[in-house]
Amino acid sequence: MGYTVSVRLSGYRNLVLSRLGQGVLVIFLAYVLSFIVVSVLPGDAITNALHDPQSGLSEEDIARIVAFYGLDKPVLIQLLLALGRFVTGDLGISLQSGLPVTDLVFDALPSTTFLALTALILALVLAVAIAVGVHLLPSGAAGILRSVPSFFLSVPNFVIGLVLISVFGFTLHTFTITEPNAPVATFFAALTLAIPVSAPLAEVLISSLDVEARQDYALVARSRGLSRVNVFAQHLLKPSALPSVTMVALLIGELLGGAVITETIFGRNGVGTLVQRSVGAGDQPVLLAVVVLSAVVFVLVNLIADLSVPLLDPRTSVTKKKKAVVS
Amino acid sequence: MTGIVQLQTALETKSTPSGNRSSLPVSVLLSFAVIVFAVLFSAFPSLFTSHSPELGDTSAKLVSPGLHHWFGTDYLGRDVFTRVVYGSLSSVSSALAAVIIGLVVGSGIGLLAGFLGGWVDSALGRIVDVLLAIPGFLLAVVIVSSLGFQTINAAIATGVSAIAVFGRLMRAEVIKIRGAAFVESSFLSGGNRLQALIFHVLPNAGRSVLVLAILQFGTSIMVIASLAFLGYGDPPPSSDWGLLVASGKEYPTAPWLIYAPAAVIVATVLSVNRISRWLKKVR
Repeated sequence: MGYTVSVRLSGYRNLVLSRLGQGVLVIFLAYVLSFIVVSVLPGDAITNALHDPQSGLSEEDIARIVAFYGLDKPVLIQLLLALGRFVTGDLGISLQSGLPVTDLVFDALPSTTFLALTALILALVLAVAIAVGVHLLPSGAAGILRSVPSFFLSVPNFVIGLVLISVFGFTLHTFTITEPNAPVATFFAALTLAIPVSAPLAEVLISSLDVEARQDYALVARSRGLSRVNVFAQHLLKPSALPSVTMVALLIGELLGGAVITETIFGRNGVGTLVQRSVGAGDQPVLLAVVVLSAVVFVLVNLIADLSVPLLDPRTSVTKKKKAVVS
Repeated sequence: MTGIVQLQTALETKSTPSGNRSSLPVSVLLSFAVIVFAVLFSAFPSLFTSHSPELGDTSAKLVSPGLHHWFGTDYLGRDVFTRVVYGSLSSVSSALAAVIIGLVVGSGIGLLAGFLGGWVDSALGRIVDVLLAIPGFLLAVVIVSSLGFQTINAAIATGVSAIAVFGRLMRAEVIKIRGAAFVESSFLSGGNRLQALIFHVLPNAGRSVLVLAILQFGTSIMVIASLAFLGYGDPPPSSDWGLLVASGKEYPTAPWLIYAPAAVIVATVLSVNRISRWLKKVR
């Protein structure tokens, strides 16, 4: 079903090339789409932001930015100008601060990357713990555990964050909210981000474990006298883990989107708070840059996942083995 | 629509929960009750509370929850339960609007792509790929910041970010049904493509699209609450659920200001998701 790619050796190279091409196209189109959202939709956000007396930009600054973006020219010319710069890696000038957008984004990036990676690890741990519990605990407890992912999916990010802050910050004093970068505070911020992400992961794991546990080989292993834990660890875990590789890749976007709320609540300085500030100030070039950056990350991670699954899963690389048998 | 999209559809069909057989319909009944209350709150708020959502009793500021004030009062002495009830209309109806936008546009794209195939399919597929590649919440934030901070714009933004999932599902359903034997036999007995679309494809795809629409309704409530929480919806004194939580967080000594509206959001979304799962199973 689905993505069983019959790979010939040269076929794999073609797969890589075509996926790369698609990825580049998607990133390019993501830029065009967000440009349209930012520039063509009603409400002249850029001009408003420029003439906002609080922006602290001088007349020369404004003239420089207007000339840079071609704001006095038709939208199509503006798009071509912007695309021309985008191809060379130039993401423009911030309307709020007059600084290059690339600098702003890359300054904010390390903090968010660290937060997102910590959250990803936590989400994996949570998901595996739930899935293992569902399969090894007695049926009563397992039944309760089975409904945990759908509960996790029903709680908005900001509620999780505020509850964690209220319980562990204000009541138990496990961390102080005034030091958002301390390890414990970072842990709770990452947990906020991890809980919604862990739910779909756990669901994929649980259902593929269900499928694998019903296979004949699992029965054979049981009848050989292996304990349930042994069967689980030696036989079921590996094949069940593969679908989650794809799922993790798809959830990267969730982490990036969730960072806007999480960083705001915990007072961290990162891409999420940069987005929040830029929205407040109508700083559209920064928003455009973050959207495109997220698309790049998403496309890259999914490219890696798509290309590595056929290599990791012996069942999907059929032709290589056939070749060996024939020759 | 290859690549990412195909993988996702493959995954989704794989990951339909096959367990969970022992669940009680009681939880489904309870979920319907919650939804009925949310709808009644939206339609007839004054039936459920005698307080005013905007005028507070200044002698009763930050009163903790009790018989008189179920959810306590806020810093102006306004009854929080009343604020939640009056905030239902915009919270629930904007989520509904978002689902309708996503459903109509997304299904349209999916139908065209799946039915016409060829270059139309690949062109629309790229658009869906792009929408999937941009994190949904980020896309909604950017759209709402372009359109202006109003709840109706938050609904539009949420709807646009839901287009991709509907498009993907509809396309997969159309392709699945188009190849089914009964559709082929309708071609053989002289039916044309439009007839097949109206009489066979749409009714069959409708069920799973409905399940997704309900699930997406829950997601939209959360996304719109998050946008309101960040201050991107209607400003106070309107009382969108997310906005209530946001203003409540300024008063750490009065945790009910957060917990009460948050519990309402969670209960509603939980119920919606429960109903969606139940519908998926009883098919």
